[in-house]
Amino acid sequence: MGEVFNFGVHPISCHSWNHDRTQIALSPNSNDVLIYKKSGKKWDHIHTLSEHTLKVTDIDWAPKTNRIVTCGADRNAYVWQLTNGEWVQELVILRINRAATYVRWSPQEDKFAVGSSSRMISVCYFESDNNWWVSKHIKKPIRSTIVSLDWHPNNILLAAGCCDYKAYVFSAYIKEINPKPGPTVWGKKMTFGCLMQEFVMPCTGWVHGIAFSNSGDCLAMVSHGSVLSVAKGGGELTSIRTEFLPFNDCVWFGENSIIAGGHDCNPVLFKVEGDCSKVAFANKLDQPPKGGGGGKAVSAMNMFKMMDKKGTVEATSTDLTTKHKNAIIQVCVYGPHQFSTCGKDGNVVVWDNKSLEASIAGLRIN
Amino acid sequence: MSTTLRPYLNAVRATLNASMCLENFNSQVVERHVKPEVEVKTSKELLLTPLVIARNEKEKVLIESSINSIRVSIAVKQADEIEQILCQKFMRFMMMRAENFVVLRRKPVEGYDISFLITNIHTEQMLKHKLVDFVIHFMEEIDKEISEMKLSVNARARIVAEEFLKKF
Amino acid sequence: MILLETENRVIYDTLNYKFEVAQSGGKQDSIEVTVADFDGAVYHLSNPDGDKTKIRVSIGLKFYKDLQDHGADELLRREYGAYYQATAEDGFSVTLVYDLTSVAKDYKPIAKKASLLKRNCFASVFEKYFEAQAKGEVGKRAVIHYRDDETMYVESKKDRVTVIFSTVFKDESDVTFGKVFMQEFKESRRRSQTAPQVLYNHKEPPMELSGLDAAVGDNIGYVTFVLFPRHTGPNVRDNTIDLIHTFRNYLHYHIKCSKAYMHQRMRAKTSDFLKVLNRARPEDKNKEKKTMSGKSFQAR
Repeated sequence: MGEVFNFGVHPISCHSWNHDRTQIALSPNSNDVLIYKKSGKKWDHIHTLSEHTLKVTDIDWAPKTNRIVTCGADRNAYVWQLTNGEWVQELVILRINRAATYVRWSPQEDKFAVGSSSRMISVCYFESDNNWWVSKHIKKPIRSTIVSLDWHPNNILLAAGCCDYKAYVFSAYIKEINPKPGPTVWGKKMTFGCLMQEFVMPCTGWVHGIAFSNSGDCLAMVSHGSVLSVAKGGGELTSIRTEFLPFNDCVWFGENSIIAGGHDCNPVLFKVEGDCSKVAFANKLDQPPKGGGGGKAVSAMNMFKMMDKKGTVEATSTDLTTKHKNAIIQVCVYGPHQFSTCGKDGNVVVWDNKSLEASIAGLRIN
Repeated sequence: MSTTLRPYLNAVRATLNASMCLENFNSQVVERHVKPEVEVKTSKELLLTPLVIARNEKEKVLIESSINSIRVSIAVKQADEIEQILCQKFMRFMMMRAENFVVLRRKPVEGYDISFLITNIHTEQMLKHKLVDFVIHFMEEIDKEISEMKLSVNARARIVAEEFLKKF
Repeated sequence: MILLETENRVIYDTLNYKFEVAQSGGKQDSIEVTVADFDGAVYHLSNPDGDKTKIRVSIGLKFYKDLQDHGADELLRREYGAYYQATAEDGFSVTLVYDLTSVAKDYKPIAKKASLLKRNCFASVFEKYFEAQAKGEVGKRAVIHYRDDETMYVESKKDRVTVIFSTVFKDESDVTFGKVFMQEFKESRRRSQTAPQVLYNHKEPPMELSGLDAAVGDNIGYVTFVLFPRHTGPNVRDNTIDLIHTFRNYLHYHIKCSKAYMHQRMRAKTSDFLKVLNRARPEDKNKEKKTMSGKSFQAR
């Protein structure tokens, strides 16, 4: 099922894995980024990256080039490189005047995109002439804070979720470093900042999470109205309103499965069919262990505990049975058949699709 | 517990559960600041529609939510003058201790007796479902406490009067 | 303690002690004590001219002039006899002096009487009107400004004596508490046949006081006691005076007690709420107090 790693009581605002998943970079809702290395069942704290002067808002660890990019509420982003066993940072000129909220390396790791509260996206690349990370801005037609980003596998297109109840697909083609891209389902014309498509969310919700499918043809979005929406490039939006609390993030597995996690503390699997024309709820993935005998005795004990503490017998709504005890903030792809979630309860949970499939009848994640 | 209280509290609980889905959100207006959007109301798109759950004219809850904070304002039942005074005293007493209560607003929203301001910082430090439990517990207890206090004033008054007049 | 004591405990205890020492032939220390009592009364215990063998008890009452009109001096002279001083200590209304060299064997009643000094000052006006009523005289209304902004009115009619107190509730909430208490006084009276009739007027003075420019206001209440001969007869008279003259203090004392009790309850409830809120903090769980590396978690 899921393996739980606890990193203290502070929320984990963001996390990212290195290429072979032996190390994790996370921020315990503070100004620092902590890097832990796995040793057996335990995680040893090996590095602290402290350069941000306000809360770190996002981390992304590039698997191939082994570089970490971090961004924070102090309006800065840093690219960290491991030299002689130390992580050394380089400042990125974002040219934004509000907090940076979200950062993602492009698939080829030659550039990254930073979302911000100053209602724009900075696409940053390394200018070798000046030995310098510079940025280009995508401003129009964004009207609020960017809270999520995802790159298309072609290294050019960028999807953004925004607080103005809209999701956008932009071209982030930088002619200085990128070869001219070929056409996709999203369109042909790809000058920098060109808006390829725009989606208006139903139930006017903030777009907390956005993700391209593996092929890049489909886009999934989760918004605050507890809605999951999918769309194929050039096509219409298909949405499903769920009975759950709002989701914060989502990832694809293959072209048919989406896993979303959020305030219900329980990752949920959705199935997509017919080129994004149909989306349906499949399963909650965090099933409480089916324990028969022991359950009663524990609950009797709980009952007396409750009576002692609270003077009430109603112990029903007080404890969650899920692995995360507070909202899931981020969902990451961990491997071809695994994903990880981090939450406000200080836990990182690694989920294995195969064992999930084994434990839940009829479940297929592909 | 009276029959209408249960559904009332259930409705409040469900609403709080849904509206307390908060996240860290940096101000779009002031550089390097985080502001409770429900209080500053500077970005319209970050606010949700406020709603009122009312048990009757006097007992109601106003829930205003935004991306990083919610404001819960409660109007407590006050059947007569003495309950009014007790309620007012009690709320003032609690609000003077607002710093201990962290989620308590120092002043109630107009038209209500007490307001809670819950921000993403609170939901990060505390378990959300227990925060909801707290608000519900508060609503349950406050009615009980006020009517008990009222009874005790009446009981005392009766004894005082009887003892005095008996002496004649 | 539900009913207030009529005597002043400090005076009573001090005198008893002094008399006891005097009787056992012990050495007398000098004394210089000032004691406050209800209705703005101030007692002063001292040695006249530094003479340790004598003890002087003086009371200062702002409204003593009002009482003098109703024969307070005569009553006190009657009550205290030789102890009563014709001229009071400077700044005080009445002075009693006790000689410690010749203390009566049974000194307790003497101490007791001294401790009832304030009550006896009040008694004059009541006795006068009770007497008048017994004779069937309809006297002029007595007006005693027993506190700065509170007044007592006593009037005798053919068949009754009415005593009206005006009282000020400093706090808005006291008005409401006062109403609750007075409501109970009205109702209790029905259960107790011997009790006098109690009436309560809020804001406006009762009809009897019309034309007396009695104070009017949101925080003013009027309490009327209607005393019939069964309350004013010579054998029950003292008891009635004891009760009536403490009534105002009795009422306010219990309002304050109620408020103190409320406060205590609120404090308890507030800390109870805090506990419930603290339960939401995950730090409460022992399990999560340790970090991954096994170090103790420190809250910042």
